[in-house]
Amino acid sequence: MATTRKPTRSQQIQQTIMYPIDWLEERSGLVGGLKYFLFRKVPGDTDWWQTLGSATLTAFLVQALTGVILAMYYKPDPTIDPATGLPVAYESMLHITNDLWAGWLVRGMHRWGASVFIILLFMHMGRVFLFGAYKYPRELNWIVGVLLLLMGLLEGFTGYLLPWDQTSYWATVVGVNLNGTAPFLGPFLAQFLNGGTYINADTLSRFYSIHMLLIPGAIFALIGLHLYLVIRLGVTSPPWSKEAAGTGPLDGHAVSPNGRTGLMRFSPRRGK
Amino acid sequence: MASDRVAERRKEFKQYKEDVKERGKPFYPFAMFHDTVMSLVVVCVIVGLAIVWKYSTPGNHIGIEAGWLGKLYDAPADPGTINFVPRPDWYFYFLFYLLRIFKWPATVVIGTVGLPTVLLVILIAVPFIDTRSERRLSRRPVAIVASILVVVSMGVLTYKGATAKEALGSELLAQVPHWAAQQGFQNNQQAIEGAKLFAVSGCLNCHTYLGNGGHNLGAPDLTAEGAKNKGIDFQVRHLENPAAVNPGSPMPSFAGLGTERLTQLAHFLEASKGPK
Repeated sequence: MATTRKPTRSQQIQQTIMYPIDWLEERSGLVGGLKYFLFRKVPGDTDWWQTLGSATLTAFLVQALTGVILAMYYKPDPTIDPATGLPVAYESMLHITNDLWAGWLVRGMHRWGASVFIILLFMHMGRVFLFGAYKYPRELNWIVGVLLLLMGLLEGFTGYLLPWDQTSYWATVVGVNLNGTAPFLGPFLAQFLNGGTYINADTLSRFYSIHMLLIPGAIFALIGLHLYLVIRLGVTSPPWSKEAAGTGPLDGHAVSPNGRTGLMRFSPRRGK
Repeated sequence: MASDRVAERRKEFKQYKEDVKERGKPFYPFAMFHDTVMSLVVVCVIVGLAIVWKYSTPGNHIGIEAGWLGKLYDAPADPGTINFVPRPDWYFYFLFYLLRIFKWPATVVIGTVGLPTVLLVILIAVPFIDTRSERRLSRRPVAIVASILVVVSMGVLTYKGATAKEALGSELLAQVPHWAAQQGFQNNQQAIEGAKLFAVSGCLNCHTYLGNGGHNLGAPDLTAEGAKNKGIDFQVRHLENPAAVNPGSPMPSFAGLGTERLTQLAHFLEASKGPK
């Protein structure tokens, strides 16, 4: 028991800081997970192309955050307020837009964030297609991505009704009727969306619930799976990159047409 | 040689993993720097759009006049309204315009359900259709041509949907005497009243009539609707609840107009036997 020296002040501070982190790591492994996430290797030629996915995630997080704030003030109630003669939902939308401090900003960000989200979804998908990044072993992640695109479009469709103005109301009436034209499932789908045979007092709260609980939940889960697969399988190099990952070691003179590049190496057999 | 191909692509992926391990760069700080900058740009664009939306609205930036990015909001929803334009958000314009190409009732289901479903199935199936491991663009002519076709057609359909002309009630109202002369119902007061309603009730946002109107959502031309001799009763019942008479019709109910006005509309439709 001779060598227990008293820790220096800086060691004490370090221990104090590390204690909760170590505590968390010992019980969950989350710190190690985060370290792995941050310091995992990505191909050396990863650049701006591969930022579209995280940009899409950012747009979704903006939607989630502004959506939570809007939900604090929005009332999914189509009944007419006798005091003003306006539908309660429409009134709450006006209140957010015109009265609340920065309400117009939050609503505007949600309204236009939706468009940005959709555009980024398409751009990200285009990049993945261009890079051939949907190929083995990333097929499953492509499918998850297509489902995310579908969920994004459904969010657009259900969210459009919520301001409860003429544009949103009539676009949705016709949109639901169009769903109803589908063979077999169509009428059931239309009935489910309307909460009855026609658009009615329950339709708005139904759309609201689908828009802010059901689909966002699905999106969060799918994004989780999407990211897990990205981290597990890795990011794809641009197909035109001279040093694309998968082409073997680069030893200065390696990149010759039929020498070192993995893609070329297998090409003679591919035709058979 | 399926097993060959499986072994080959496993080998390629193993090579990828090795390459990344050997000459890759850590996600933090390199890739994360790019991601962070891009995310900041995205947030700035969203905030910028919200600001332009608000502050390009004429007047005191409140109200239903359209600014550069459109209206902040429209008039409140009114199920009993007689004039509306069913218009989706812009990213559905391509579907919206697709429905102009297909005609009710025979092929409209192709536009509403058939094509979107087929496109979705193809999209999901992409990695199983293209199973080669080749990624270089010059070696994937089919993929490149297909993607260019998709981008161009989506772009054209979106543009067409965005610029689709909407019928204006006031301009159409001026056409009523002209319609009466062409169809020969000048002396049918019920039909003339019906024609005026027809002009201002938004019917021509989807239907066409003597060259006027929108032709949206697969709605049929009504120029010679009366030639089918379906009868006033049928027309009124159809206007009250289109889907009940015509199963699967996407047309909304016009019951809000009331029986008297619906009867006038029915007289107008029945009097429209096609130009003489």
